Amino acid sequence: MANKQTASKPPSSASGSFWQRNRRELTFLILFVVILGGSFTLISVNWVNDHVVEPFTAGIAWLSGGVLHLLGQSVTMTGTVIRNPRFAVNIRNGCNGVEAMFIFIAAVLAFPASWKSRLAGLGLGILAIQVVNLVRVVALFLTGVYFPKIFDTSHTVIWQTIVILCGVLLWIFWANRFAMPPASEPAT
Amino acid sequence: MTTAKSPRRSWGAQLVLNALLWVIPVALLWLVATPLYNRFLLGSAENLVRLTESPNVTNLLRKDDHFAYVQRRDFPPAKSLVHSFRVTDVHFHLLMLGVLFLAVPRVPWRRRLENLGWAVLITVFFDILLIFFYVKFAYATQLGAWSLEHYGAFGRNFWGLGKHLLDLPFKFSLPFLLWAGFYFNDLMAEIRPRPA
Repeated sequence: MANKQTASKPPSSASGSFWQRNRRELTFLILFVVILGGSFTLISVNWVNDHVVEPFTAGIAWLSGGVLHLLGQSVTMTGTVIRNPRFAVNIRNGCNGVEAMFIFIAAVLAFPASWKSRLAGLGLGILAIQVVNLVRVVALFLTGVYFPKIFDTSHTVIWQTIVILCGVLLWIFWANRFAMPPASEPAT
Repeated sequence: MTTAKSPRRSWGAQLVLNALLWVIPVALLWLVATPLYNRFLLGSAENLVRLTESPNVTNLLRKDDHFAYVQRRDFPPAKSLVHSFRVTDVHFHLLMLGVLFLAVPRVPWRRRLENLGWAVLITVFFDILLIFFYVKFAYATQLGAWSLEHYGAFGRNFWGLGKHLLDLPFKFSLPFLLWAGFYFNDLMAEIRPRPA
């Protein structure tokens, strides 16, 4: 019996030990990719885009327009478009903070933590990401009005990096400071 | 209790602080390397596209420091530039990658640079694949009747969804995915149960 077990074990124990050695990070990475891929596949469906993402983006445009009004800009909003006589922006996917939000949500849900920590992290993290994104839209509009030459670089490189980096750093801070390891795992 | 709490707080806070300090140097390096990297990416992606077509008809032409054209040599000259895209957009995630990998505290420089090197290598392959998907997406969905004639419904959806997924979620999250792959255990090691 013992011989039988020894003879039949090596292949599975080799793969088992790899899985066991890296179980936590592999589980995290697989869950992260599945949640992220699933959520983006979902919002690529036209109905979801038209009935959820577009109204959400229009809300961001409306809020950004309000902030621009407060800053003395005379702007009008039509759906996802903000315009004044000198410049107009159309807020589209990639500029509505949804990507950073989904990356953050997928990372929080995939990480081993209590649901209480997750919900607190999701609430505060999503709010923080949307605040940063609001700053991005307002700053980009002002860049378009006053510094149109650097609008493209600012739009695609600088602010994309800032918003995504902000989401990632928020997650690292949350995971490091507020997410608790599962009770079954010893604290190292 | 205090000793259990302080390392956890300082590791995360230190990483955020380091990240902020690394942003400018990494951005400068990325700016300097961008023209060269653009050429390399276009050349490599062009070769990859040509592996999937016969005869070879696709050229990826540099327009300026940022943009590139997809050219089909079998189209009439006036219509041969079938698509354009911003090459810089493909690889700005290298900025995030550099910042995240260099910012990890309490890791020896040698290990940090080794991990960064592997991560950059993986990212280069990803960037080439992404441009390949840009080209296929353009062929399958952006050329009107020609696309309909040469790509079926499955092909159009495959290249469309593939480009959508690679271009938005995975391009943006790749630096984080790689960071988590290399440093997940370091992060977990810094987590202590909170005192009751």
